[in-house]
Amino acid sequence: MESSFPWLTLLTFSPIIGLLVLLFIPGTNSRALRTAAIVTTLVPLGLSLWLFASYDAANPNAFREQVDWITIALNHEAVNIGSSAYVFQYHLAVDGLSLPLVALAALVAVMAALASVHIKKRWKAFYVWFLLLETGMLGVFLARDLILFFLFFELTLIALFFLIGIWGSLNREKAANTFLIYNGLGSALMLIAFVLLISTAGASLNATEQGGDLVYSGDYATIAANLTSGESLTNLPGGYDNPFALSDGMRWTIFILLLAAFGIKLPVLPLHTWMLRVHAEAPPSVVMIHSGVLLKMGGYGLIRFGIGLFPELAEDASFVLALLGAVSVLYGAVLAFVQREFRLVLAYSSVSHMGIVLLGIASLNEIGLQGAVFQLVSHGLISALLFLIVGSLYERTGTTELEELGGLARPMPFMSGVLLAAGMASLGLPGLSGFIGEFLAFLGLFETMKWVTAIAAIGVILAAVYILRSVLKITFGPQQERYAVLKDARLIEAVPMIALFAFIVLLGVYPSVLTDTMQGSFDNIIAHLNTRMGG
Amino acid sequence: MATVYSQYAWLVPVFPLAAFLILTAFGRGLKQTGAIVAVLGSFGALALSALVLIEHLGGADEYNDSFHWIKIGGYALTAGFDVTNLTALMLVVVSLVAFLVNIYSMGYMKDDERMTVFFGYVALFTFSMLGLVLADNLLTLYIFWELVGVCSFLLIGFWYQKPEAKAAAKKAFIVTRIGDVGLLIALLLLFWYMPDHDLSFAAIENVFGQTGLITEGITTLIAILIFVGAVGKSGQFPLHVWLPDAMEGPTPISALIHAATMVAAGVFLVARTFPIFEASQAALDTVAWVGAFTAIFAASIAIAQNDIKRILAYSTVSQLGYMMMAIGLGSVTAGMFHLFTHAFFKALLFLGAGSVIHAVHTQDIHEMGGLGKTMKTTAWTFAIGALALAGIPPLSGFWSKDAILAEALHANPALFVVGIAAAFLTALYMSRLFFLVFAGNPKAGGEAHESPATMTVPLIVLAVLAVIAGFVEMPFSGTGWFGEWLTGHAAEHEGAALVMLVSTAIGLLGIYLGWLIYVKGAISRDVVTSRAPWLTRMLERKYYIDEIYHAVFTVSLRAIGRACDAFDRHVVGGAVRLAGGAAFWTGRAATRMQSGQPQSYGLYVVIGLVILVAAIAGRRFW
Repeated sequence: MESSFPWLTLLTFSPIIGLLVLLFIPGTNSRALRTAAIVTTLVPLGLSLWLFASYDAANPNAFREQVDWITIALNHEAVNIGSSAYVFQYHLAVDGLSLPLVALAALVAVMAALASVHIKKRWKAFYVWFLLLETGMLGVFLARDLILFFLFFELTLIALFFLIGIWGSLNREKAANTFLIYNGLGSALMLIAFVLLISTAGASLNATEQGGDLVYSGDYATIAANLTSGESLTNLPGGYDNPFALSDGMRWTIFILLLAAFGIKLPVLPLHTWMLRVHAEAPPSVVMIHSGVLLKMGGYGLIRFGIGLFPELAEDASFVLALLGAVSVLYGAVLAFVQREFRLVLAYSSVSHMGIVLLGIASLNEIGLQGAVFQLVSHGLISALLFLIVGSLYERTGTTELEELGGLARPMPFMSGVLLAAGMASLGLPGLSGFIGEFLAFLGLFETMKWVTAIAAIGVILAAVYILRSVLKITFGPQQERYAVLKDARLIEAVPMIALFAFIVLLGVYPSVLTDTMQGSFDNIIAHLNTRMGG
Repeated sequence: MATVYSQYAWLVPVFPLAAFLILTAFGRGLKQTGAIVAVLGSFGALALSALVLIEHLGGADEYNDSFHWIKIGGYALTAGFDVTNLTALMLVVVSLVAFLVNIYSMGYMKDDERMTVFFGYVALFTFSMLGLVLADNLLTLYIFWELVGVCSFLLIGFWYQKPEAKAAAKKAFIVTRIGDVGLLIALLLLFWYMPDHDLSFAAIENVFGQTGLITEGITTLIAILIFVGAVGKSGQFPLHVWLPDAMEGPTPISALIHAATMVAAGVFLVARTFPIFEASQAALDTVAWVGAFTAIFAASIAIAQNDIKRILAYSTVSQLGYMMMAIGLGSVTAGMFHLFTHAFFKALLFLGAGSVIHAVHTQDIHEMGGLGKTMKTTAWTFAIGALALAGIPPLSGFWSKDAILAEALHANPALFVVGIAAAFLTALYMSRLFFLVFAGNPKAGGEAHESPATMTVPLIVLAVLAVIAGFVEMPFSGTGWFGEWLTGHAAEHEGAALVMLVSTAIGLLGIYLGWLIYVKGAISRDVVTSRAPWLTRMLERKYYIDEIYHAVFTVSLRAIGRACDAFDRHVVGGAVRLAGGAAFWTGRAATRMQSGQPQSYGLYVVIGLVILVAAIAGRRFW
């Protein structure tokens, strides 16, 4: 069933519609602004959940919107063909890989909008950037044209830059600058890779009487097909040889550029230092999105563009990827153990958990890849929940230094309980989502690299060590006098906490809800690797 | 025989789960009602378990049901439950002890403001433990295995404001997690080596029952890794350190989780995956020797401890060692038999200790004394428990320990000697504990009172069970019925009469020695301390294991962390700053060059020219 209504466009741009409404609300009316923003974020959530429910893994093309957008004619008389042009499309689609992340982004956005109750100034500008950010991240997961993807990706950068730089804590401007420079660098690498791809593997030739129309497009499917089936590159219809056939060296160059570009985002060691600052300086509700969704764009990019386009190279590099993953897992965990600031504990914990994503990717089998995506979604939910709590905690205590905190379970039993539960999810307790992602990634990788998996599994112990150290430091122990008067979570704080935790439990108890959606998403990659092995 | 109740066995854990959900949702408002909800939940589980057990005593078939939990490509991970005679027995043990502990806690925890939270955690634990028992495959078992661990953690840290409770909870979680990683890796290995990636116990039995399907090396590796998990959970050496500290939790928890059920899960796990161990003699030997060593090692520590709960905790570690030894000797029957009897008499001892602590508000046995006169019910039930533990006939512990010793004598005399020595120490530390607490003159200030009926009735019930539980399997009944029913083949008891004589004599000797020292005073209490103070000190300090672990693991982990932190800050961060700084300063320098002064531009031109000429000239010599 091909849907004629542009549901995906509506999903992506509904935050912009809300933004337009927001513009008519006076900037001083924080309550109305907040309500409008929250209501706005509910629209993409509703749409994405509906998409999720109606998505059929057997028929992934039900929702697809594809129109030519920008056409740049080229003067190409040197080769004997009719016409040639760059054609960039407005092309949105969902599949089992992007759908879970779209739903995650929409969900975390709602929760972060609720958590933005802690924002104390310039509400209007805040929500404008916030909603732009949401459109950007939804677009990233839906775009199927390289240029369109790039535009959405950049939109998230700019929006986040302002969100950190204006509403962050003490060193916000420095954090925003570091963020922009690092990610700008990543974007530059990505753009180079994309341009190389478009002008080589993006080529397709439609045979006509004059010899054919040569079209360079950013269409993901075209590029993937050209790259993975070597034939169409060297043997285009019409007897035309593509002069831009990719050499092995070129393939490796592009592959490494993509790894670096998305590796910065994930982040992979040693490209992680920028995100520490963001975790520590950005307002907690923005970190919910940053850690909950934006980092996931790195993992998504690695899977979609890195191994999706270059499965053989990924296979050749799989040991290095797995090693990087294992080192990230252990390095992040050990560092999380010695941090004195809770937000930095969580930042290094993200490094560790994203290492597990890398392990899943490196497995290059269906179990591991699903584990990687599962881990992305699960970590998104868990870190959103953790930073939601951090926000509420910080508002009350004015600090997230571990040394300053203690005994909060007495004045705040509910919030402490949720913090402990979130910590348990983070350390991979079965029954909660963290376990499934971790387990599937390990299980997948174990097929090919037993020792690397076994070493990385030590991270499971270390996770317990650093999570319990910090969480128990905050909530357990004798009550401190100055915190005795603190109030437990208000309703507007409790609702997103319960909602996020409910999703964490849902995925932990009934993981099929996600794995069934992903069913078959990696068939292309795996089939390609199998034929390679067979041949 | 067809099954009626067994197919509904999955409902057994649902009762306590429902209780947990109700208690969590309605929270502290429930007060005493909360306790009733918890008791009802565990009663529901008990009633249904009893029906299932009765059905299986009548010879019902095994019942199994499972479904695809996660399906990925051609692989499926299943979840399911299995009702065998072994699981039916365990269901009753768990739900019975849980039920009694719930009732006991109504009295013990009466004044605690977080009582509903307590009962909620207990209900969650009961759910998880029953789930663990019912699991039909290793993955499902692992999930519940972790859940019981987290419940144990929550309950050890129940009095979260006490720094000791916090530390103990953390330690319990982390140390058992070390074992869990072993089990996790075993799980990964099994998944990829088992035909059809089937992790069910039935398939394991099938595959490992035949030789050659899986190589011996891999079999041994898997078995040892599973055993590592069991070592963590069941407090075997060298991962025993968390269990004595776990006594920081409320005493009913010590009885339920850290004596009767969860800590026995390791033994249960080895019994459940026994076909893997059976296929590897090396693995069996490892299990037997680790168990035997733990049995005597922990018993020796128990002699020098002064905290009533810690003595019992080390005793638990020691008895779990016996069970492991039995299974390592190849007798699942003997191991499970001892698990069965131990669950009752050790729960009884802990609840009795709780009753004492409740009355005198101290845990130091040297501050107690003469309680036999004021707390009659507690005293005589405790005496039954102590005698059962010491292995005095005809109490239950005698029969089950006897079964283990008989196996040892039959299979490996060295282990028999270790077992007998540990039995002597057991009798000694129990008589020391009993006489110091209940005999002599009262020391603790104020009159101690007997506990309320909610606490004494469970004691009486457990005392009855501690007496009779052993009768299910007596060597001279000659039938070996219990073993036949449990594992499908009857155990043999050669030389049983000799073993019975020796172990009874050893037990009585231990008690007599205790009586001589602590009641009669015929032997000075300082007889060892005065001659070998180092020995007493070493036992008191528990062989310095905690100190060693702290130095080796905690300190080094922190050092590694600090080193990595410095690396991250200065090397990784430094490289970033350097790159950023280089770009910045290049830009700064280039800006400065644009000064607008012709003289400096002229200078740059001259410098450039010199460099150029030098470069060209230099090429000649190159």
